[in-house]
Amino acid sequence: MILEFLSQGPALLIRSEKKVLAVADLHLGIESELDKHGLHFRSRTRERRERIESCIRETSPDILILLGDLKHGVPFTSRQEHREIPEFIDQLRSLVPLRLVPGNHDVGIEKFFDPDELLAKEGAVIDGAGYVHGHMYPDVSLAGKLIIAGHHHPMVCLRDEVGCALRSPAYLFAPLNEECLGFPITDGTQKGSRVIFMPAFNELTGYDLLRTVEEPFSPLSRCMRAGEAEVLLPDGTFLGPLKSLEGYGSDQEA
Amino acid sequence: MGPIRKLDERIQECIRIRGFEELSEIQNRAIPLVAAGRNLVLIAPTGTGKTESAMIPVFDRMLKERSGGFTTLYITPLRSLNRDMLQRLSWWCGELGISVGVRHGDTKNAERRKQALSPPELLITTPETLQALFMGKVLRKHLKNIRYVVIDEIHELAGSKRGAQLSVALERLVTYSGEFQRIGLSATVGNPDEMGRFLCGKRDFSVVAVPVTKRLHITVEFAGDSFERQAKWVSDVIDRSGSTLIFVNTRVTAEALGHQLYARGDVEVHHGSLSRDVRIDAEERFKAGALKGLICTSSMELGIDIGHIEHVIQFGSPREVSRLVQRIGRAGHQLHAISRGTILALGFDDLLESLVIARRARAGEVEDVIPHRNPADVLANQVAGLAVEYGKISKEAIMAILDRTYTFTGYGTLLDEVCNQMAEHRLIRLEGNIIGTTLRARRYLAGNLSMIHDEKKVLVFDMVSRRTVGTLDESFVVGSIHTGAVFITKGQLWRVLDMDDGRITVEPARRVKGELPSWEGEQIPVPYGVAREAGALRRNRRFAAYHTEPAAREFAMGFLTGMDKNRSRIATDRMIVLEDAEEGVVCNICGGHKANEALGRVISVLLSARFGTTVGIEIDAYRVLLSLPNTIRASDVREILSGLEPEHIEGILQLAMKRTALFKWKLVQIAKKFGAIDPDADYERMSSYKLTELFENTVVQKEAYRELFSVYMDVGAASRVLELVKQGDCGMELSRLSILGAEGLFSSRDQIPPPTADQAVISTLKRRIDQQEIVLACMNCRKWKSHTIAGRVQEHPICPKCGARLVAVLKPYEEPLYAIASKKGKTSDEKAVEARLMRNANIVLSGGKNAVLALAAKGVGPENASRILSTLMEGDAFYKEILKAERNYIRTRRFW
Repeated sequence: MILEFLSQGPALLIRSEKKVLAVADLHLGIESELDKHGLHFRSRTRERRERIESCIRETSPDILILLGDLKHGVPFTSRQEHREIPEFIDQLRSLVPLRLVPGNHDVGIEKFFDPDELLAKEGAVIDGAGYVHGHMYPDVSLAGKLIIAGHHHPMVCLRDEVGCALRSPAYLFAPLNEECLGFPITDGTQKGSRVIFMPAFNELTGYDLLRTVEEPFSPLSRCMRAGEAEVLLPDGTFLGPLKSLEGYGSDQEA
Repeated sequence: MGPIRKLDERIQECIRIRGFEELSEIQNRAIPLVAAGRNLVLIAPTGTGKTESAMIPVFDRMLKERSGGFTTLYITPLRSLNRDMLQRLSWWCGELGISVGVRHGDTKNAERRKQALSPPELLITTPETLQALFMGKVLRKHLKNIRYVVIDEIHELAGSKRGAQLSVALERLVTYSGEFQRIGLSATVGNPDEMGRFLCGKRDFSVVAVPVTKRLHITVEFAGDSFERQAKWVSDVIDRSGSTLIFVNTRVTAEALGHQLYARGDVEVHHGSLSRDVRIDAEERFKAGALKGLICTSSMELGIDIGHIEHVIQFGSPREVSRLVQRIGRAGHQLHAISRGTILALGFDDLLESLVIARRARAGEVEDVIPHRNPADVLANQVAGLAVEYGKISKEAIMAILDRTYTFTGYGTLLDEVCNQMAEHRLIRLEGNIIGTTLRARRYLAGNLSMIHDEKKVLVFDMVSRRTVGTLDESFVVGSIHTGAVFITKGQLWRVLDMDDGRITVEPARRVKGELPSWEGEQIPVPYGVAREAGALRRNRRFAAYHTEPAAREFAMGFLTGMDKNRSRIATDRMIVLEDAEEGVVCNICGGHKANEALGRVISVLLSARFGTTVGIEIDAYRVLLSLPNTIRASDVREILSGLEPEHIEGILQLAMKRTALFKWKLVQIAKKFGAIDPDADYERMSSYKLTELFENTVVQKEAYRELFSVYMDVGAASRVLELVKQGDCGMELSRLSILGAEGLFSSRDQIPPPTADQAVISTLKRRIDQQEIVLACMNCRKWKSHTIAGRVQEHPICPKCGARLVAVLKPYEEPLYAIASKKGKTSDEKAVEARLMRNANIVLSGGKNAVLALAAKGVGPENASRILSTLMEGDAFYKEILKAERNYIRTRRFW
C-alpha cells in the first residue's frame, strides 16, 4: 500500500489494487454557524470543491471517500447547506464515484446521497484499508488494518527558541491498542491495527494535536499508543515522533 | 473694547456682569472674524477664553436670527468636557434666553425625548452622538436649521479616525442644513493651516493663533533614579507650591506614585480606569482646595475645569512637545499669568529627552497633527451610516459628500472596493450603483457609532489556585493567545486551557522554552526629531545651552564619562552601536519610536529569513532589542543593516507585518468596522491566523497596512536613518553590552516568525536529528559499540578500542544486527547484513558528521545516505535532502 500526500487538499491517495482518494471534515456550511457567532464571511464552498477537483485531476482516483462531517450544522441542516450541498455533491459525482462515512455532524445527510453511496458510521474496509469518521468505536472488520480517520482536525504548532514559528494542519499516525477497541489481538507476525488521523479539509478549522493526545475525546484517540505516534505535514514531510514535539508530555511532568 | 460695542446690548450687559474689563488678545482678534461669518481656527492655550471668543459672537448672531430646531452644535471630544461646557455656557444662555442642552452617551432617555420634541438651540455633544442624530427620524428634521458648528479641542480629533469620521459627518450635515459657519478651537499645533483644511475642506477660513510658549516657565530636574526619592521630591514640591497637578504617562505609574503619597492625605489619583464617581469626587475636592496634589494621566490634559493650579509636575519625560505645552499650560489658568512647570526626569534617556523637549517648547517647535487620508474603515462606517439614514443611496450621492471633505481626496476606486467588501459581509445590499440598507446595518451602527476601539480587558483565571491572576489586553489575546498557547504574565508561565466570555482559563506551565510576548499596550511615541536631538546632546554634551540644573547635569555627565571610562561606544545622532547581549542584540539607534519600530521589524524579518529562526523585537526611542538564538551576533545585524536599501523598506515591511500579532489585531479592528466581525464576536471559533488569510488582498488588509505604516511606524524617518548610514554621515560600530544598551532590556513584545514554513520545519528536523538516539559500532575490531545521540557525535567518530575510523551508525532497533557482524560462520543472509554494515561504516568514514546525521534520519539506510551525501549539499539544502528521503520512505513504506 502506498500513500500519496496531496498538500493542496489536504487529501490522501491510498493505492493498492485501486486508487482511493480520501478527504475528511469539509464542514460545509460553517459560514452560517460563524455568522451566528458574530463572524460574517461569504461561503467558501465553491473554493473547497475546486480544491477537491484539483486533487481528482492530479490523481484520477477510482473512488472518492468523504470521511464524515461533510456538513457543519447539527442537529439541523441550515439553509446554506440545503442550498449548496446538492450541487457540491453532483459536481463531484460527475467526476468520480463517491462514498461517505457519516460523521457526527452529518445528521440528515442521507437525503443528499444515493443509499449505496453511504457507508456504515462504524466504518468500512475498502481495498485493504479501513475508513471511518472517528467519533465511534470502529467496526471489528477494521481490526488489523490501517484505519484512515477524520474528526480530530489535527494541527501542529512548531516552536523554535523564541516562540511559535509555524502552525500547520498535520497527520497523526499511531499504532492502536486493540484490546481497548475491543478488537481481536493480532499476534507479532502481523502489522496490527493502526490509525492515521487526517487533517480537516475545511481551512477554517484546526485543533492542536497535543491537546487531543492530552485529553482524548474519542475511542480512537483514547486507544492510540501515543508514545509511538508520529506527526507528518500535509505534503508527507516526516516531522518526527510525537514525543519529540515541544510541549509534549509537559502535563505529566507538571 | 472695540469689538464689544458692535454686539447685541444683552451680550454687552453679560460681559459687564462677568466683569471682563478687557478682552484677551485672542478674543479681540477672533470676535470680529466670527461676527463677520468667517470660518475660523483659533489656536490658543487652555484658559485664555477660547470658548467665549467663539461663543460670544455666535450668541450675538443667534439672537439676531432666531429659528426652531438646533441652531448651534458645540462638539467636544469628551463627555466630561461636555459637562464642563454645559455649566459654563448655561449661564450665558440663561441670561440671553437661549435654550441649551447636552446630549451624549450618558444622557437619560427622558432628556433625549424632550430634545426630540423641543430641540435646544445650542446642543453640546460629542462626535459619536452626532452620528446617532442622523439615525433618528425626528432628530434628523431638527438638523436643518444648523448655522454654527464649534469643534473644541480639534487637535485631539484631527489626527484620529474619530476626526476623519467627524469630517464626513459635517458634510452629511450640510445636506440637511446647507452651509454653516465652522469654528475650530485648538491647542498649539505645528500646522494650523492643515487644521483649517481639516475643518473646512475647500472652503475659505482664517487662522488666529496666540503663541503659547512665551508664557511657559519650564524647568527640568533630576532627583536620583530611585522611585522613593522621586516620590519624595514630588511631595516636597507639593509642599512648596500648593495646588499641584502631577502628570504621569501610565496608569501603573499613577497608582504607584499614589501609593507613595496617599499617606499625606491631600493627594489623589485620577485616571481613566477609575469609576466616574471617583474621578468627579477627586476633581471637586481639588477645586475646593481639600486636595493639594492630583496625580493624573492624559485624562486631565483637556480643558476640564478644576480650579486654580499653581504648578504642574511632569513625572518623567512628556515624550512630545505638544503634550508638555498642553500639560504645563494647565498651570496659572488666568489670562496673562505665567504657567509654571517642572519635568522630573527619571533616568538618563529620560533626562536628555526632557531637556530637548523643554528647549523645543520654549522655542515654540510643536509637532504637527497629521490627519488620516482616505481611511477605508471610516468610509465603510459612513457608508453603513448613510445606508441606514437614507434606506437607499447612490454612490454618486456619497461621493458628493466625500468630495467636500479634506479627509477623502483622490480616493479613486476606494468607494467601490469598500462597498464590495461590505456587500460580501452582507452589511449592505449593492444593486449597481445603489447601496441599500440591511437589518444588520442598523444593529451594526448601534455598536459602531464610534471609531474608537475600546480595548477590552480579558481576565486570566488560574485553574489550579482557582484565582484571577491578572488581565490581558484584548489586542494581545487576539494576536497571540489560543487554546494551548503558553504566555508569560506576572513573571510566570501559563498555558491556556480554555477561553470564553472574556475569560481565559490557564494553568501554570513548565518546560516550554518558547516564550510568548507580554504586550505593554500602545504607548506615546517619542518623535524622530526629539530622539535625533537627544542623540546630538549625547555627542556634544552642551548641557548649558539647555538650561540644565546642576544635579541633572552632574548625573548626565557622570553617565557619559562612565561610558567613556568603560570604553563603550556611545550611540548618537551620528553613530549606531550594535551590542551583543545574552538575550540577543541591542541596536542603539537614536531614531524615535516610529522609525525604530520600522527599522526593528525590517531587521528582524531579514534575520528571520536568513537564519530561519523567530526573532523577538522590543523597541524604544533609542534602541531596538532583538531576541535571537545566541548563534546570531551583532556582526550579522551590521551586515544586514549595511546591505539594506532605504527604498526597499516598505516592501519588506508588508511581508514582515503580515505574520505579526500587531497586524492581526489591526486587521480584526478594521474588519469590525467593515461589519465582518461583530464587536462581541467569539474569536475562539476561528483562530486569528485563519482570519488573516480570509482578508488577503482585500481593502481591509490594505487599510491595516495604511494605518500601520502611517500611524504606528515612520517609514520615511527609517529611510532617512539608512541614508545617513549609506552616505557615511552616521557610523555603525559593534560593542559589548553597555549600561546604555542595557537600559532598555525588558520582556519581548512582538515576534517575527520565519517567512516560510520550510525553515520552521528544517529547524524542527535539525533538533530531532540532533536528539536521535543512535548506536555507534566499530566495524574494524568489532568489539565496541556505544549508545549516544547524533548531535553529540564528533566530526569523525573513532573507535576507542582500536583507533579505527570504520564506525557504523545504527538505529537502536538495528543494534541486534551488530552481533551478527562479529559472528563466525555466517549464513548468506547474515553475510548480506555484514556487507550492509560495512557499507554503512564506509559512508561514515568518507562522509563524517553529515553521514552520521543522514543515517540518523527515518528510513535512511546506506543507499539513501550515500545518495544524499553525493549531492554535496550543505546547511539547509542538506537537511532538505534528508526531508526528501524521509518523505519518499514514508510514502512507500510497507507497513501503512
